[in-house]
Amino acid sequence: MTSVSDADIRAAAERFPDVFHEPTRLVWGRRALAVGMIAYFAFCVWAFDITFERLFGGLHKMGHVLYSMVIWKDFLTWDFSGILIGLAETVGMALLGTTIASLFAIVLGFVAAKNVVPNRFVHHIVRRFLDLLRGVDTLIWALVFVRAVGLGPLAGVLSIIVSDTGTLSKLYSEAVENVDRKPIEGVRSTGASHMQRYRFGFLPQVMPVFLSMSLYWFESNTRSATILGIVGAGGIGMQLSERMKVQYWDQAAFIILLILLTVAIIDTLSKWIRMRLIGKREL
Amino acid sequence: MLQIHHLDKHFGTVRAVDDVSLQIPNGQMVGVIGRSGAGKSTLLRLINRLAEPTGGSITFEGQEVSTLKGRDLMAWRARCSMIFQQFNLVNRLDVITNVLLGRLNYHGFLDSMLKRFSLAERAMAIYALDRLDMAQTALQRADTLSGGQQQRVAIARALMQEPRILLADEPIASLDPRNAAVVMDALRAINKEEGITVVCNLHTLDTARAYCDRIIGMQAGRVVFDGTPDSLTTDAAREIYGVDGLDEALSESVTSSSLGSPDDGAEPRRAAVA
Ligand SMILES: Nc1ncnc2c1ncn2[C@@H]1O[C@H](COP(=O)(O)OP(=O)(O)OP(=O)(O)O)[C@@H](O)[C@H]1O
Ligand SMILES: [Mg+2]
Repeated sequence: MTSVSDADIRAAAERFPDVFHEPTRLVWGRRALAVGMIAYFAFCVWAFDITFERLFGGLHKMGHVLYSMVIWKDFLTWDFSGILIGLAETVGMALLGTTIASLFAIVLGFVAAKNVVPNRFVHHIVRRFLDLLRGVDTLIWALVFVRAVGLGPLAGVLSIIVSDTGTLSKLYSEAVENVDRKPIEGVRSTGASHMQRYRFGFLPQVMPVFLSMSLYWFESNTRSATILGIVGAGGIGMQLSERMKVQYWDQAAFIILLILLTVAIIDTLSKWIRMRLIGKREL
Repeated sequence: MLQIHHLDKHFGTVRAVDDVSLQIPNGQMVGVIGRSGAGKSTLLRLINRLAEPTGGSITFEGQEVSTLKGRDLMAWRARCSMIFQQFNLVNRLDVITNVLLGRLNYHGFLDSMLKRFSLAERAMAIYALDRLDMAQTALQRADTLSGGQQQRVAIARALMQEPRILLADEPIASLDPRNAAVVMDALRAINKEEGITVVCNLHTLDTARAYCDRIIGMQAGRVVFDGTPDSLTTDAAREIYGVDGLDEALSESVTSSSLGSPDDGAEPRRAAVA
């Protein structure tokens, strides 16, 4: 280090100025960005009317809600049958919706796979259509279907079918595109037709993937079907939102616990089934 | 009789198969040899019509097969079964179902979608497996088998097609010498007992000499040798493999010496080259 003289430093700095001082352009750019971010946050705080008063006032009320959630009053008089039917409805909606969506997705997943339908135009159209189904949230489909077919589980099932057909088809088609070509060529070499090739070359490879994806979505749909109830599409969500409206926090807490429990059970079951599927002998 | 006239297959500027003409009488066991990239696999795939020829024609018993389409094409593939270096079984299906896939061409849409095979076909599949000493694995999943076992299952599937021709694309290239011998013996037995024409791509000279009635040498897409094993001299082999390639083709024969080259061992020939 001692051997570097001031002259050396000056000489090096002349050749590579950016190594020694950050370019002014960069420094100012960064400052402008910082100022912009701070201004934006400040604007949001002002626009959303975020004040300490409201935060602490809210905290106080939140404490009250939490308190009423823990103290269960007149437990034995609660409408258990309504709650349980609602819960069963939610699971049923998720199961029915996911199953039907999976059936559609088997067909659409193949159609949307490049190695099955190589036509770029068809591929594009199908993919965009699936994006449309998927891009619009289940909740929005539910609002649409509640208008169309009225309050209740049917609207929920339909909305799950529509949005999950989009999601599952996309996932399925990726599984189809990732198949191993060799077995398919083997099947083809025996004089098999297109459909026979899909049945025996593709399907055995993709079926375990399909099933485990659908199981996963069933589980996640059980959760989202709860929200569907809140907008009137049947199930436990309806029970929950009714009780929250009239501030029956204890009953709402009970329902939330039941939902958590149900999701946990489904989660465990589907994990177990998925594990079994991976090692299964024949499909 | 399988007749190939001026057959071409181009991939862009690559002439994978270049003006190949061959006549293969029924019941012959033909070995196709050549360096990597010589066009051996492409030739077999053209015969089975897994690949479309760029030009030329293929006829079988006088029938043009290079222009077949639809059902006729599938029927041709069924009569002209194929086995592969990587076996190409459906791993997730059990052995018996894999063998039954050889019957797909004889089934309609509904039967095959529901995986309905007749009792006679199931029995046939068991016999085919038995013949290759594989019946005991019938209910195992295909991917639980060793390579040699998988190749035998693939041969059983090919037999289920009741083929006139059996194409084998380097059937022993991923097998150890002992399994290689089992598979080659099976192919030769099928050829001799059933009179099925066998066209077999092979990497090593030794195996080709030991098992085949006729050897076809390919180089850069062209047939550069066509004759009996006896007429395949070192000079001819050098033309097929190139000078450095020849050493390789022979040195690989050391590992497959248990294939039991009939009369003269591998040693004298290696000495002759060296
Ligand atoms: N699908 C394809 N697309 C482009 N080129 C190909 C294709 N298949 C084969 N080729 C080319 O054609 C030539 C012949 O290939 P082929 O697989 O028939 O050779 P091979 O004799 O079987 O070689 P190997 O002993 O390595 O199996 C090679 O140059 C290869 O790169
Ligand atoms: Mg090859």
